[in-house]
Amino acid sequence: MSTPLQPVPSAGKRVRIVVATSVMLTFISYWRAAAIVLNDLASSAFYACGIAEQAVGKSAPWFIVGVMLFSFTVRAVYVESCSMFVRGGVYRVVKEALGGTLAKLSVSALMFDYVLTGPISGVSAGQYIVGLLNEVMVTADAHGWIPRAVHNIFHGTPQFDVNWTSVIFALAVTMYYWWENIKGIHESSEKALWVMQITTVMVVALLGWSAFTLFKVGFQHVPLPTPGNLHFSNESLGFLHHSFPDQSLAQKFGILGIMIAFGHSVLAMSGEESLAQVNRELAHPKLTNLKRAAVVIALYSFIFTGLTALLAVMLIPDAVRVSVYKDNLIAGLAMYMYGPELLRLLFRGFVVVVGFLILSGAVNTAIIGSNGVLNRVSEDGVLSDWFRFPHRKYGTSFRIINMIVALQVFTIVASRGNVYALGEAYAFGVIWSFAFKGLAMLVLRFKYKGERGWKVPVNFRIGKYEIPFGMASITMVLLATALINLFTKSVATISGIAFSLVFFVIFTASEFVNRKKHALSQKHMNDQFQLLQRDTVERESLNIRRGNILVPVRDYNTLTHLRWALEKFNIQDQDVVVMSARVSRFGSAAYDLSPEQIFSDYEQTLFTRAVSVAESFGKKVSLLVVPAGDVWTAIVQTANNLESSAVVIGESSKMSPEEQAFALGQAWEALPEPKRQFVLQVVHPDGHLETFRIGPHTPTMKDEDVLLLHRLWLSITREPGLENVHHHEILTEALTRFAREYGAIERDEILKELKRTGIATRIPGAVPNPKPAPLVRKEGGDGSFPEHES
Amino acid sequence: MISLLGVLLVRILEGMFVLGLFGSTLVLLITFVEDAGTLLGREDSHHS
Repeated sequence: MSTPLQPVPSAGKRVRIVVATSVMLTFISYWRAAAIVLNDLASSAFYACGIAEQAVGKSAPWFIVGVMLFSFTVRAVYVESCSMFVRGGVYRVVKEALGGTLAKLSVSALMFDYVLTGPISGVSAGQYIVGLLNEVMVTADAHGWIPRAVHNIFHGTPQFDVNWTSVIFALAVTMYYWWENIKGIHESSEKALWVMQITTVMVVALLGWSAFTLFKVGFQHVPLPTPGNLHFSNESLGFLHHSFPDQSLAQKFGILGIMIAFGHSVLAMSGEESLAQVNRELAHPKLTNLKRAAVVIALYSFIFTGLTALLAVMLIPDAVRVSVYKDNLIAGLAMYMYGPELLRLLFRGFVVVVGFLILSGAVNTAIIGSNGVLNRVSEDGVLSDWFRFPHRKYGTSFRIINMIVALQVFTIVASRGNVYALGEAYAFGVIWSFAFKGLAMLVLRFKYKGERGWKVPVNFRIGKYEIPFGMASITMVLLATALINLFTKSVATISGIAFSLVFFVIFTASEFVNRKKHALSQKHMNDQFQLLQRDTVERESLNIRRGNILVPVRDYNTLTHLRWALEKFNIQDQDVVVMSARVSRFGSAAYDLSPEQIFSDYEQTLFTRAVSVAESFGKKVSLLVVPAGDVWTAIVQTANNLESSAVVIGESSKMSPEEQAFALGQAWEALPEPKRQFVLQVVHPDGHLETFRIGPHTPTMKDEDVLLLHRLWLSITREPGLENVHHHEILTEALTRFAREYGAIERDEILKELKRTGIATRIPGAVPNPKPAPLVRKEGGDGSFPEHES
Repeated sequence: MISLLGVLLVRILEGMFVLGLFGSTLVLLITFVEDAGTLLGREDSHHS
């Protein structure tokens, strides 16, 4: 049933607002989705085995392999979770299953996991870089390339303090990404794919060269993962160290020893949770693509992390593996390949570059992920809205970002560059967030009766009950490991519980305050607004005329462009649609929001202001809220669906009008067919206007080009049989020939000529970005009004 | 007494772990077959 959008109400009438619930996204292939997740998951290969070997001894690689095999089943839990059609954030979903207290603890553990991803990745990247620099110094000194004076100052070969230099590096990377996130950088799947392509080159080279080395020089045996082969350090026994000082534990409780070792290796599968974040953006068929991405991720990480761990122990001598290379094991592997030293050093340099790319990317993912989770928790009403207040200039949730980065900076400094301590704490967050996830999914098997696209096998029926044996099994392993980790990771347990308690208290207090505030705000909303839920934005069902004017709004303090649109356009001829995009970026994408969450307090204030502006002009406006992955996609998809003739936006504080038009043009290019062109009008605060055409359009022709065309026409029509040829037919023939030549061997020649005449640089949008410019054309200074199509 | 409780707790955890690993192995094997089908482009039929 269609319900038309309503005008600004008279007194006593509520404003109707259409809330679209399907998120407007640019969809990505499963390869890109896999690349995004692998940027996080594969980064653990750089430190997981080194940490595990310090904890359990030389048989650690088998446990890493075991964890990577087990990660196939954890991935299945996430696939089932993503295939459930539920709305609300992670807190609401876990609360549904486990109740409020456990849900808050679950989110706290997830936060601990996300927050620690940054410090461990940053410090680990620093360890790889400093390790290489020190190695280069040693090699240079051995060749006499370091001046004697420098040698004397350092009383030997100059060496950086590995841990503290790594701390400085990690702080620098964290601060860099802090600022990028404050500015609101868009997470690019293109970049993730590129990083994974380079990583793949490194993995292939590493495995190939390792195989050759094994063949040429042989290898050391990796002891089987039996209780007798486990050698726990005092640190790795944690609180149990006092009860079992002589390491008799492994012999007394054989399986317990295996469990402890398994618990020290679980961080190898950290990053699996990112799978849920990319699910929403996967292209159709979503479930099949999700499963494909999950298989690619699991296979890749098994080969990279699992095999690298085995090879490190097989090839790096015992004497140096832990003492020298414990924190940069893959770099050590590069140094023990068969071949000339210079080549090995160069390969180590390549490993460090790849490590830097993937680990520093994980620092960014940690900030984005934490920000996303806390935003969703805030949307679920558990964290005060104060945290989510947008940055005045950039529109980002800067308070949450500041809090996360402050915690990360504290963690980095407190760790003093100790990767082992960070890894132990990180493993605590990883295993507990997985355990809560498994438990919630297990309970939801009995509680949730809605749509579910796929189930973890093995399931069988007893009477009318279905027994989720597979899900229960995975959850049992996760829970048993998490519980045993409580006893064996003393520092992690203390820091993890302290962190979780702090967040738990913040969440509980915020929820208490929010409950009262929410009741008031809900009453206000019910008095003022009526939310009409729509799955998608469709012009006919919203009763909006074709050729309407779309006015996106974000900041309630800057509505100049709305005033301009209401002043200039005659609403008798064209509807004015005021739209707000509720942007939730990557990292908050596990579940879609409910309509009440999409239309939150901020949107209430925003639309109240927009309505009063419209009232001041005595004009009707239609109101629309759409959830989206990014604002540009939301605008072009809405404009396309509503068949808008113009989009009117205000000048951005961080982008020039040309850059805004370029971004919109790029989003337009990504739209599936059919798509329509429209006019973009950017209104400056002083009322000055800039107009761009988005989409294919008749190009502006120079007078001399028109003259040339005309001369050709005159010449051609003199030929017998061609008297009736039209100008456009000549243009068609010319363009067809041009396209043929461009597609053939003369392409380079044409491009060279275009560059020489400077045509490429005159395309708006081509200046800030060397990629092919989208179909954007700038109009004259004052801009012409788009014509109304009836 | 505390020691006995500790041993009991350890045995329970060990039981959970072993049973869990057994079930997880079954999940791994079944999903492996499904995954091969998914990667080769065959649609899965395991819907609820």
